[in-house]
Amino acid sequence: MSLEMTMSQPLSRESRGFPDYELPRLVRLTDNLHGAAFFLMKLLPARHMLDRAAADGRLKPGGTICETTSGTFGLALAMLAAVRGYRLILVSDPAIDEHLHKRLLELGVTLEIVETPYEIGGFQTARLDRLRAALEANPGSFCPSQYGNADNPRAYAEVAEQIAERLGHVDCLVGTVGSGGSMSGIARFLRHLNPDLHVIGVDTPNSVVFGQPDGKRLLRGLGNSLVPPNVDHRQFDEVHWVGAAEAFLATRRLHQHHALYQGGTSGAAYLVADWWARTHPDRKVVTLFPDEGHRYVATIYNDDWLAALPGWTGVLPEAPQPVAHPSDVRPSWSSFRWDRRMLDEVLAAGTPVAHDLAEAA
Amino acid sequence: MPGDVISRFASVRLGTRGTQQKEHGFGQVNGHHGEILQGIFPDDAGRLHRGLVTLPCNIVSSTAVFRPAPGNLVTVPDDKLKAAEAARLTLDSLGLHDQGGHLTVESTIPVGLGMGSSTADVVAAIRAVADAHGAALGADEVARLAVRAETASDSIMHGDLAVLFAQREGNVLEHLGPALPPLEVLSVNTAPGALVDTVKQPPADYDEWEIQAFRPLRGMLRRAIRIGDAALLGRVATASARISQRHLPKPAFEEINAIATSAGALGIQVAHSGTVVGLLFDPRNPATVRRVAEAAAKLDDIGLPPALHFRTDAAEVRHVA
Repeated sequence: MSLEMTMSQPLSRESRGFPDYELPRLVRLTDNLHGAAFFLMKLLPARHMLDRAAADGRLKPGGTICETTSGTFGLALAMLAAVRGYRLILVSDPAIDEHLHKRLLELGVTLEIVETPYEIGGFQTARLDRLRAALEANPGSFCPSQYGNADNPRAYAEVAEQIAERLGHVDCLVGTVGSGGSMSGIARFLRHLNPDLHVIGVDTPNSVVFGQPDGKRLLRGLGNSLVPPNVDHRQFDEVHWVGAAEAFLATRRLHQHHALYQGGTSGAAYLVADWWARTHPDRKVVTLFPDEGHRYVATIYNDDWLAALPGWTGVLPEAPQPVAHPSDVRPSWSSFRWDRRMLDEVLAAGTPVAHDLAEAA
Repeated sequence: MPGDVISRFASVRLGTRGTQQKEHGFGQVNGHHGEILQGIFPDDAGRLHRGLVTLPCNIVSSTAVFRPAPGNLVTVPDDKLKAAEAARLTLDSLGLHDQGGHLTVESTIPVGLGMGSSTADVVAAIRAVADAHGAALGADEVARLAVRAETASDSIMHGDLAVLFAQREGNVLEHLGPALPPLEVLSVNTAPGALVDTVKQPPADYDEWEIQAFRPLRGMLRRAIRIGDAALLGRVATASARISQRHLPKPAFEEINAIATSAGALGIQVAHSGTVVGLLFDPRNPATVRRVAEAAAKLDDIGLPPALHFRTDAAEVRHVA
């Protein structure tokens, strides 16, 4: 669709949404560290993807949306589908959170739970097969595909706008990476205004996004078992891998010290951002807190549950352990100089650890 | 009685517009030096518009004199077709369909560089015609007439006011503040001799990423104006210039940008539909005198001697050392 056509289009009748819920609240944590605390970060990309699809006809009024997700992206789609009158089919697996499951049903979602993993490819491949079947069974239905849809990172221009308007010049952006939308999107927009922006991606061990081998992960909401096309690896100067125990402890610290009641990914981002801000006191740092803590009352905010975690020490590391290659990453907090390279380049070459991360940055 | 008041008000208004004809009317408007920001921007309802934020250049201007007379409208020089059209539209809008007259337009604004010569002629003509008839037209009204006369128009009728202006619709998308933070501008014409028909040019076909990228630029611009931060303004201008470079590339853009950076400029700014590039400096910084001289020398070295040096908050020409 040409630009003039896009501009002359009448606004979609399906434009109801939650604009005041989409953007984060900006909270100053220390002299040079600002947190962007979201209610539900995925609302913004979900709304933008639906808007764009409705504008160019991929999504018809009253149409059907199919997606595979077991996380907050599904919740965001469900909220929008409910107020905009779309039918939503979500494919998930038995690992889906019980309360989220109930909430999705209440919002009218058709939830298809894949009960058995494939021998090769596990639940991920089984879910993709079920999604394909759902799309075929519902001709004309729309699949947002958050991992590959370029409207996902582009949606975050609004967060970049808010940060630029409220904070002006920013030196460093820190955030967790899962689909690649928020960090790749915001980093590219902010770097257009500041080519020297230092960008730190936060991943977790056993996530393949930044080159770890795939494995079981206790910390959810960041990392991935595949490398989403929306992860633009060349945006990242530094990558950190944060384990579940330290992320949860940092989540509690964020609440205790700054009164922000956020989820586990926020804790992982806070751990890294707070360290970088302390070691670079003259630089302005912004970090993203993707969701609130209410879903984690029985887990992260429960001392007994935390104490039963494997490897629980109750002590937060002071600094990350620098590694020379993503395959050297340990179960606990590690850091690596990514230097805005492609994944293949990094895996082939690594980075000598002789460079001190704090100084190099 | 309310109806009476309204009709009396209306007749007074008409009177000021239609009957107080003078022997001649006078109109003047300053030019500009391209834009700080130009792109695509959503309005409050989310609808997208082409828009721009002009960098004022008050050392060049257009002046028009209009002498009303019955019959034809004669314009001098006779190739100022847009100005003639604007004068006609203005007479018509005042209800003076049979009125003609003699319009003279003079301008010190260089033509074809993207410095607003066309809109300045048009706005000066509109103001001269309105003045000749004792009509006080507001900036929005002038803008609507200007856009009708020339399809796309710069925002110079708003003077130094910082506005995000929809150049093809003639209305203000956002009032940003009373003025931009003051800047000291070293101006380079990147294509001397090559005139760009700034009006006939097709509008830039921005891609989806660029359309979104204008949002953070607008956000930073709001802050720059609110807190008077010229450095942030320089960042916005440079970012907008980079996007413009994909649509109407300026020769030697990277070289000029490198000179700006090494000389400690706040950034660079371009005429998004023209050929001039401005190196932006902070007039409040004592190092600016030295930096400007250094940049001017380096520009001279690459065969692009600066043509103009001015401050946005003073109508004063400075000569490059």
